[in-house]
Amino acid sequence: MTQAQPEPTSATLADPNSRSTEFVAVQGGGETTSAASLLIAAYLVMWGLLFAFVLLSWRRQARVETRIAELEKAIAAGGGDGRAGQ
Amino acid sequence: MTGTKDKLFYALLAATAAIFTYLIGYIFLVTPLAQLQAGGLAQKIFYFHVPAAYAMYLCGAVCCIASAMYLYNPTDARDAAARAGADCAVIFGAMVLGSGPLWAKKAWGVYWTWDPRLTTTLLSVLVFVSVVMLRAFAGNGEAERKFASALGVLGTVTLPIIHYAVVMWGGNHPTVITKTGGGLRHPAMTHALLVGFVAMTLLAGLLLWCRTRLSLSLSRVARLEEQAIATGQIDY
Repeated sequence: MTQAQPEPTSATLADPNSRSTEFVAVQGGGETTSAASLLIAAYLVMWGLLFAFVLLSWRRQARVETRIAELEKAIAAGGGDGRAGQ
Repeated sequence: MTGTKDKLFYALLAATAAIFTYLIGYIFLVTPLAQLQAGGLAQKIFYFHVPAAYAMYLCGAVCCIASAMYLYNPTDARDAAARAGADCAVIFGAMVLGSGPLWAKKAWGVYWTWDPRLTTTLLSVLVFVSVVMLRAFAGNGEAERKFASALGVLGTVTLPIIHYAVVMWGGNHPTVITKTGGGLRHPAMTHALLVGFVAMTLLAGLLLWCRTRLSLSLSRVARLEEQAIATGQIDY
């Protein structure tokens, strides 16, 4: 059995001083987070992830191409000056 | 041949950039706001969120097919495609899991709930993360490649479960895209979503291309190192 909640009076809600002395439950308060900030955050997350992925892939590809060139040079040289250490 | 491939790549890149520019403009200038219960302005996340999920399925399918082909007949190209599919599935999965909670915060009031579709999506992404981690840290031997391929095939099996999770188990997640036409009640919403699918398909193609090339280059490095070690050109 639930207790009946007292209805807040209009005087209570209208009085700004009551905010520091009581909290009144309301139905359907709703989500107050800004839709615009959530939208911007979502786009930043998606594009940030994408750009980071592309940038890392690009840099890694460049490193691998350099390594391939080093190894090919070392193999072509057949020893001597063309050593490419690990 | 390389010149033709380069031209095709840059044409694809230009087309992708153009279609994304058009899509962003269309979403913000033409597509109307959805009702507040769907998130209002935050619902515009939908036009990237859903196509990113579709791109994850696409990359997962590439991973699955290439992995199965590799298990049947191993080649560097098949292994590279499987690896690229898993890499791209992770990045699109991260885009889905990064954007969805921000929309959910507005529409549902919480960032995350253990809804069937959210949970199965998270599990699938984690399977693809495990494939990527395995390939990154377990070495590049034949056995490791085959194990990663088998895991890639298994990971893709979880993707249809995401799709049917809402139908089978219900939950909070919207089901606006259905066989009977769906719940997009404005032609501009449907248009934006369709353009989003095209844009993400092109983007997935580009990323798969780049990552496959990278994986092939890594295989080439491994073979050259073996050759150089065998001939004493480099120190092991």
